[in-house]
Amino acid sequence: MSIEVKNLIKTFGEKTVIDNVSFKVENGETLAIVGFSGSGKSTILKLICGLMTPDSGDIITSKGDIAMVFQYSALFDSLNVADNIAFALRERKDLRNKYTEKEIKNIVAEKLELVGLKGIENKFPSELSGGMQKRVSFARAIVTEPNTILYDEPTAGLDPISSTLIEDYIVRLKEETNAASIVVTHQMSTISRTANRLIMLYDGKIVYEGTPDEMLRQDNPYTKQFVTASLEGPMQMISEN
Amino acid sequence: MGSLQKYYKQSATYKIFSGILNELADFLDTLGKITLNGLDVIKFILKGQIEKNEVITQCYRFGITSLPITLSIVGMTSIIVASQVALEMVKQGGGNFVGLLMTILIVREVGVIMSGFAIISMIGSSIASEIATMRVTEQIDAIEVLKVSPIRYLFVPRVIAGMLMMPPVVIIASAIGVITGAITANLTSGLGYRAFFDSAWLGIYMKDLGVCLLKAVCFGATIALISCSTGYYAKGGAKGVGEATNKAVVWSFVAIVIWDMFFAIAFFF
Repeated sequence: MSIEVKNLIKTFGEKTVIDNVSFKVENGETLAIVGFSGSGKSTILKLICGLMTPDSGDIITSKGDIAMVFQYSALFDSLNVADNIAFALRERKDLRNKYTEKEIKNIVAEKLELVGLKGIENKFPSELSGGMQKRVSFARAIVTEPNTILYDEPTAGLDPISSTLIEDYIVRLKEETNAASIVVTHQMSTISRTANRLIMLYDGKIVYEGTPDEMLRQDNPYTKQFVTASLEGPMQMISEN
Repeated sequence: MGSLQKYYKQSATYKIFSGILNELADFLDTLGKITLNGLDVIKFILKGQIEKNEVITQCYRFGITSLPITLSIVGMTSIIVASQVALEMVKQGGGNFVGLLMTILIVREVGVIMSGFAIISMIGSSIASEIATMRVTEQIDAIEVLKVSPIRYLFVPRVIAGMLMMPPVVIIASAIGVITGAITANLTSGLGYRAFFDSAWLGIYMKDLGVCLLKAVCFGATIALISCSTGYYAKGGAKGVGEATNKAVVWSFVAIVIWDMFFAIAFFF
């Protein structure tokens, strides 16, 4: 087991965003969390990686790092690509004196090669396309050899070809690192290409759990509405009021 | 009962009081966060966890980039004051004290407080907007996920740079202020430079210089800490960045005036 979430509850004010959610992800497995915008998908990732604390429930992880790839990459725009990737190696307390600059340079080059971006060390994030920024953020995430990788809408806002490329890298990183991966998405292509299993959230609760193939075949009203993108069904868009 | 409660909530009195309480809660919340961040910064400095390269970058930002505007503001303030008092004092037979008055005014107050205002508007606002942008674009979240302390990485170098660079900026600005004061007095009242500088030294003691430098250190640290903190807790998008920047400027202005009052009471009462 790499990560287990038990009876997780998170509220913001009077609104329960995550309502008694439980799931497990094994090493080498990718779980997709799907659902409408505002259904609590990204909140789960922030709870797992410690950016938020749950009101109740447990998050049990195996020893090792948790890495996160942010929706808009979240690269440090004042640092170049190499410094972005090397950030944790230079700044983290337990890694700060572990590597020489030469070793850091080699690790950066190796990670960049893994995401297909060899030789762009000196470029700044603003000089890269959205897809390239995303791949640099993959490289930054895996630099500490994490055993859990969280992806927050990794293909949002990308063109279909860039999306496919990113999806391929998610699969490749899982194979290379044997990490447990959680992908938050609402794109069908990302679900079908990357996930072994998926859970669907609605109003903070899990309304479906299964494999991507089962989701397409089953007669669950929630998955059916999600797949057909229908306005009619049990899921109603949350009112702004 | 429900409708009574609803009516009460719509009343002007309720809105005024709830508005005041919300503002008070926000004030205490911000003050508490700044204090806690300040304690964390001290903890990292005492442990020697200082990012030296980043300190140098921030020193350049505080000291060099702010210098032209700081010198201009202090210099112009000195021209304004000297042009108001020099002629009148010469007319009243107090020409020998113009240099004394100008130097006391600049070294004790104008140099340091006007430099503080210049640094707030130029560097404090830029720090707040930079860190607020990092917050709203999830860069600070990324720092935390990578298990690096944002306080150590972002706050510590800026606070140290503020403490290190504010004193030299104030010394240079005060020197420029005294010189422009002497030139202005000469041009407006015909007061000789010798007469100005002969009296300039009479009212200035080591204590004045020491308090001036101590003030500069406190102002620099306060401006950096407030600017970092308001940026750090920014929420939302562009609006949040704007609000954080605004808050940094307002809080820094108020804070250095409070510091100044504290120093005046503690050392010159």
